Amino acid sequence: MFPTSTQCKYWMFESEEDLNKLREKANSRHIQTYGKQVNDASKYEFFLTPEEEKIMVKRFELHLRDFCKRFQPPMPRYVVGTSFHYFKRFYINNSVMNYHPKEIMVTCIYLACKVEEFNVSIQQFVANIKGDREKATDIILNNELLLMEQLSFHLSIHNSYRPVEGLLIDIKSRTNLHDPERLRSGTEHFLERALLTDTILLYSPSQVALAAVLHAASKLQENLDSYVTDTLFGEDGRDKLSELIEAVRAIRSMVKMVDSVPDRNQQKILDKKLDKCRNPENNPDSEIYKKRMQAMLDEDDDVYHAIASHNYSMDNSALNMSIPASPEVA
Amino acid sequence: MEDFVCPRCRTSKFQNPSMKMMVNVCGHGLCESCVDLLFLKGSGSCPECRIPLRRNNFRVQLFEDAGVEKEVDIRKRVLRDFNKKEEDFTSLQDYNDYLEEVETIIYNLTNDIDVLNTNKRIDQYKRDNKEQILKSKGKLGREEYELEELLELEKQREEERKKVIKIEEVEIKKKKIREKEALIDELMFSNADAKNIVDTFAQQAQQAKEEESKKVPQKVSQFSTGIQFGRQNQSTFLPVPTDDGPLYKYIPPEFPTDGPRPPNEIDVIEKNFLNHVRSETEQERAGGFKSNIACLRALQDAMMGLFHSKKSVVL
Repeated sequence: MFPTSTQCKYWMFESEEDLNKLREKANSRHIQTYGKQVNDASKYEFFLTPEEEKIMVKRFELHLRDFCKRFQPPMPRYVVGTSFHYFKRFYINNSVMNYHPKEIMVTCIYLACKVEEFNVSIQQFVANIKGDREKATDIILNNELLLMEQLSFHLSIHNSYRPVEGLLIDIKSRTNLHDPERLRSGTEHFLERALLTDTILLYSPSQVALAAVLHAASKLQENLDSYVTDTLFGEDGRDKLSELIEAVRAIRSMVKMVDSVPDRNQQKILDKKLDKCRNPENNPDSEIYKKRMQAMLDEDDDVYHAIASHNYSMDNSALNMSIPASPEVA
Repeated sequence: MEDFVCPRCRTSKFQNPSMKMMVNVCGHGLCESCVDLLFLKGSGSCPECRIPLRRNNFRVQLFEDAGVEKEVDIRKRVLRDFNKKEEDFTSLQDYNDYLEEVETIIYNLTNDIDVLNTNKRIDQYKRDNKEQILKSKGKLGREEYELEELLELEKQREEERKKVIKIEEVEIKKKKIREKEALIDELMFSNADAKNIVDTFAQQAQQAKEEESKKVPQKVSQFSTGIQFGRQNQSTFLPVPTDDGPLYKYIPPEFPTDGPRPPNEIDVIEKNFLNHVRSETEQERAGGFKSNIACLRALQDAMMGLFHSKKSVVL
């Protein structure tokens, strides 16, 4: 149930400005921690600006969508929706420079597969990744816990797909619209594009679903206004209607804005800049990262050895106590 | 007393009252200091019968006759495998035969009669009844179960008694203090002869004491849970509780919808919503998933949160 969910409680924001503010905060927090020696005026020559970070995130959202489309075995769409939610939530409070989006992206998808019970093993999963699969496995598994922590372990996601089904059932049952199944393709297209916007962090899944259905209807020159005002909202929702109309309008205009295709040249520049300024502690190719991982492994080994030897001695004493004799004694 | 002489160092309980006799599986005793000495490495052989022994298996001799110790050990071991219970047999005769066989085996092993064949018999039994042994390992027999219950009851009773005694003690202490204070008050403020006052108080105290001794502690016959002491009630059912409070009233849970009210279960069927969803397959129905549940959920999800307002979000 959405109204009692963590999604409603913790991951719904008031406006795009709020989201941008949070993202800017994450950006400046990163620069403060890692760029003490750089003065304020020239900091953006080295570090990414919040605007550039946003472009990066947008680009990797497109990557995420394409990756999911190509994924083998084919992935149900709610897994895609859930991965989008995770990815967006992660970069509200984290800087792109601290954690590279390409790593977080695959981790998000992997986690979404698990949460949405789309069963793929890690081997199956990394088979979809080009390049060094072993490294990818390490990255995903290392980042998984971090991701969950950054999501405050709020893992259940309410996507817009079921509300769409509900609305279609309702439209079929309570209106005399001719062949409501026609709406489906337009709706699905709209929802896919809505994932690329911030709407899912601002509006409830049912609102997005309604916007999608209304959009699809208007594309087909059908009018569902009377259904919304009279049938769906009826008497008890009269005073809420204006707000909903406003929300639907906002969602539709946000989704309309998506189309801008990223500039390839700018992408390359940004990629290079990010390569320079990204946090080496979280870069699996850097020496610092490798050393830290090795240290962690060694530590684990030590702890494991201690536990193992302790267990062994415990076993021994316990066994001797409980076995009274070997049979040949008597 | 003669049994309490260590066969190795000849120390006796008489010479060294703190001497502890230890015994191992072979049934030959040794005193504690000899065990420490001989089994320094953790294992060694019995000085009398040369059987290899492990130090950990030494324990304090409980019975005067070390042979009994040996039998207890063997019995423990044999019964680990021969763990059938009375419930596993169809007739009492079978069970008795089985018990007889077990006893024979134990007797043979204890008295070193035909050890080879007996061990073979045990192995044979083990092989034949592998599964059964494993199964009844964790299971407590009826008798053990009853015994456990009895122990539990006893423990509870003990606790109850301790509690009562404690309360009584506190009461008595309080009473004494009160009496003392009364006596002092009387001595301070009364005009009577001090000696008289002391006498009357002493008499009163005497009387109280007599009364106390007359009062036989009342026998409690049941626990606070209503279960009788002792074994007279075999059934372990609790008595049906008589609830004196107000009757339970069902209040249907309220779910926040934050949207228009979705149709309920009856509406879904009556207003033909179901015509627009796929009906469940036989397998799905067997699992309890009926189409009206899916339909209801989709409709609820569609309506919930439609009133969601950005201003009402509390971060």
